[in-house]
Parts: sequence; structure tokens; C-alpha cells
Amino acid sequence: MIKREFKTNFKSFIIWLSILIIIFLIVYLIYPYIITDDTMKSLDEMMKVFPPELLKAFNMDLASINSAYGWLKSEGFMFILIITGIYSSMLGSSVVLKEENDKTIEYLESLPIKRSNILTNKIIVSIIYIILMVVIFGIFNYVSLLISGDFNHREYILLSVTPLFVALPFFSINLFISTFLHKTRKTIGISLGLVFLSYVLSVLSELSTKVEFLKYFSIYTLADTRNVITNTSINSVMVIISLIITLIFILASYIRYNKKELI
Amino acid sequence: MVILEIKHLKKYYGNFKGIENVSLKLDKGDIYGFIGPNGAGKSTTIRTIMGLINKTSGDIYFNGEKLDSNDPLIKEKIGYLPSEVNLYDDMTVSELFDYHESFYNKDISKRRKELVRLLKINESKKIEDLSLGNLKKVGIVLSLMHSPELLILDEPTSGLDPIMQKTLHNILIQEKEKGTTILYSSHVLSEVSNVCDKIGFIKDGVIIKEDLIENIKKDNYTYLTISSKDVSRIKKDLKLEVKDEKDNEIKFINNIGVNELIKKLANYNIDKLLIEDISLEDLFVNYYK
Repeated sequence: MIKREFKTNFKSFIIWLSILIIIFLIVYLIYPYIITDDTMKSLDEMMKVFPPELLKAFNMDLASINSAYGWLKSEGFMFILIITGIYSSMLGSSVVLKEENDKTIEYLESLPIKRSNILTNKIIVSIIYIILMVVIFGIFNYVSLLISGDFNHREYILLSVTPLFVALPFFSINLFISTFLHKTRKTIGISLGLVFLSYVLSVLSELSTKVEFLKYFSIYTLADTRNVITNTSINSVMVIISLIITLIFILASYIRYNKKELI
Repeated sequence: MVILEIKHLKKYYGNFKGIENVSLKLDKGDIYGFIGPNGAGKSTTIRTIMGLINKTSGDIYFNGEKLDSNDPLIKEKIGYLPSEVNLYDDMTVSELFDYHESFYNKDISKRRKELVRLLKINESKKIEDLSLGNLKKVGIVLSLMHSPELLILDEPTSGLDPIMQKTLHNILIQEKEKGTTILYSSHVLSEVSNVCDKIGFIKDGVIIKEDLIENIKKDNYTYLTISSKDVSRIKKDLKLEVKDEKDNEIKFINNIGVNELIKKLANYNIDKLLIEDISLEDLFVNYYK
């Protein structure tokens, strides 16, 4: 069954990974041409116009976009976090629900396999794909950065792992939500909405101390890229919280799915 | 030996009734015709047996023990053909059969080959390219491949041509001879009457009649055709259900038995009288009035 699951989910994995790679490849290729001394001067002037809170929201107070690595640390990583968030959310919401949506569940349920084993197979394959997405894209960026200039290797490796701490909770939350639904078309809005709401809350929380509490409602808080850039270390508290959220929602999904009316 | 027993099964979807009270018993080697019109509760009953939906109350026993439809060891002994066969479109028939085989702890390839030959299935075709009838045939193979003890078929002949229907019925008779117990759901009584031993009629979620097929055929129901100038009076007095009427001839569905009928008709001037066996379809319709 695992083999079948890998095959079924391979296409969407390749599509999402390609989207990331193509966009970043374009950035790496054109970056040397757009960042010249003149454009850098104008960019610096432009940055002064933005309030520091806004720059902080995009890590631009910590990293200058005068190099590809600087761009990656600020805007680039935001982009990676959003894309991996969307991918893992959509995977979570469709990996099990697809069987109901396509009505193949009636066949699958007739096979001698426990419901919990069906779920386990699907979760294992999904998590492997999420990890593969982060690792393969991390390697791609690593190689690209090696070609385009000098960078802090340890800092980069730690940074490239952070999307996992966002992707896994997004996956498990969406998996849990999907156990209440019967059609995948309803889940696309929920998956995207959850990612963008989380992202907006994360940005807003950086803008003012008055709304800082919003960060507690955002999954993106778990990808503590600022800590990696400032201290060259991963915030272990965030990692633990991320894993706990993931485990809770996966466990809840097992409980719900075992009782679910599948038709 | 009782293979499947259902006691007072009830399923409600919120306030909406799925089935109200379904009780039935299948002995080893029985072919049980589960008959009812669309929406009577046949598929709901079957899906509850298969564990796809949760029962509201009642009990289901398989081989004398409460049925745990999530137990793989139990599922290995049950074959299921849903009324609407939905399979993985991206697979070929052969890939799907291989995939199916991988779930069983025994070699089921021999039976697969036999069934593929009997049902004339092209294994190289992709599932998405199959016609409704061919998809049904693939579903039949999947339900039978592992030689189940209990076979549950929900409207198995829909989409099959008459020749394939006959082939399927022959396969079912062979399965019965091997001791397989079969629950055969259909809304066409005449279709199941040739293969089933026992029939259960379900209406509005309740089993309204259950009997051996020969007893059902022996029921008092007959057609009664009368030619008489007194037709309108006979119609008024006998109060029987009119099947057909033209000029001075009228056709009734008679449910009062022949002796009783003759006694009543002695009072009228009858030109022609014809008493015939009722068709199973009319009998079926009569149950659902």
C-alpha cells in the first residue's frame, strides 16, 4: 500500500518542488544583474522609508538583500515557508479524504486492513514527502549559494530545516480537519485560508507590541528564523511545540477516522 | 450453521431514517435475495455490515461472533461488491489485481485467473477506460478472488449484459456449491429468483416479508381475467386491484385464493374466466403498495 501511496502523491510533490526550484532558480540567475552598486544605493534609500517594524516582519532588519543569501534569509525564506505550508496543508487535507472524494473508499474498506493502518501508511508517505521537499530544496539552495558566493554554512543548514516545524503542524491540523469532511473541494479553501491567516497573523504580530499576542495564534511563529539568524541555533522550545502540535492532531485524526462514517 | 445474523439493525442519519428494523439470518451456503425498491435501505444495511457507516442500534453476528468489520482477519473472509464500483483510475486492471492480491496472506492468483477467463476481462486496460459493465466485472473479480466465506453483492447485475448476468449467476451457483454464503441485493425480484433460496423484502427500512423462494412463488396471488356484462358490478363487489380493463373484460390481481374467488363469482354471469400465475414483478409491486 505504501508503494501505491508514493505513486499517487508523487505528481503533486514534483509540481510543488518544481514551483519552488524554478522561482528560486530565476532569482539566483538574475540576482547578479539586478543588484549592482547603483541599485543597492537606491534600495538602501528605499528601505529607510519603511518602518523598522515592517522590516522586522520580513527579517530585513537582520539581513541585507545585497546578496542572494541575504535575500534568501529575508524574503526568500518567507516564500519557502508559505509554499511548504501550502503543500503540506493540501497534502494533509487530501491524502485520506481523496479516497472518499473519489469513492474508492468502499473498495479500500473491503480489503483486509485496519482503518488505523490505512491512516498510518498515508501519514508515513506524507511526512516522507514533506521531509523530501525540505531536504531536496535545501540541497538545491545550498548548491546555488555555493555557486553564487560566500555564506554562513551552519546558519544556512539550520535555516533550511525550519520549514519542517511549520509544515508538520500544518499537515496534521489539515489531516484532522479532513476527518470531518467528505469532499476535497471543501478543503482547498480551508488549507489555503489556514496558511494565509497564519502568515498574516505572524506579520501583524511583528508590527506592534500591542498585537504581539497574535503570534500565539500563528503556526509561523514556530519557524523561528530570527533566532537562527541571530544566534545560529534552532529554538528547541519551538521544535518541541511543533512536534507536540503535530502529534496531538495526528492522534486526534486516528480517533476521529476510526469512528468516521465513510459514505 | 448460521454465517450472518442481523438483529434489529437500525441506522439514523440525525433525524433522517436510513433503516428502522432489519433482522435476517443467512445459513452456510444460502443465497439470500435482499429485495427492495431504491431507497428502501438495502445499501444502508450492507454498508453497515461492511463498517462503512456506524449503526444506531442492533447487532450483527458473523460466524456466531459480533462482527468487527475493522478486523482484517474477518475482512479476509468477506467479499464485497458495491452497487457503484469505483476503483483507482490510474491503474490497469492487472495492476489493480496485483495490488488486491498484496493484501491477502494466501495465494489467490489461481482464482483470479479463473474469474478473469470466465468474465472475459482484458487485464491490460486502464480502469479509467473501462465501460460500466466491464468495471462491474472487475468489481466482481475483486469480491470473489480471495474465495470469501460470505459474499455481499449490492446490485451486482446493473450494467451487465444478459449473457454476463447468466455467467455471474452460474459463478454464484458454483460458489454456493462450495459453501459460500451470499447476500444478494437487488430491486428486481425475477432476477434473483433463479439463484436465491430465500428472499427478504425490505420496505422503508423494515423487513416486511422473509420466506423461501418456493413459498413466495406459491403465495395466493394470481391474475384473474373476467369477461362479463357484469364487469362494473364485479369490480365494485370484489374490491380487487385492477391490473387492466377494456370493454367488458377486466384483469385483477387476486389475493383471496382460488376457492374463495369461485364462490364469490358464482353470483355473476361470467362469459370467460382465466386464472394465471402472477409474475414475480407484480408480486413485488404488490408487496410495496
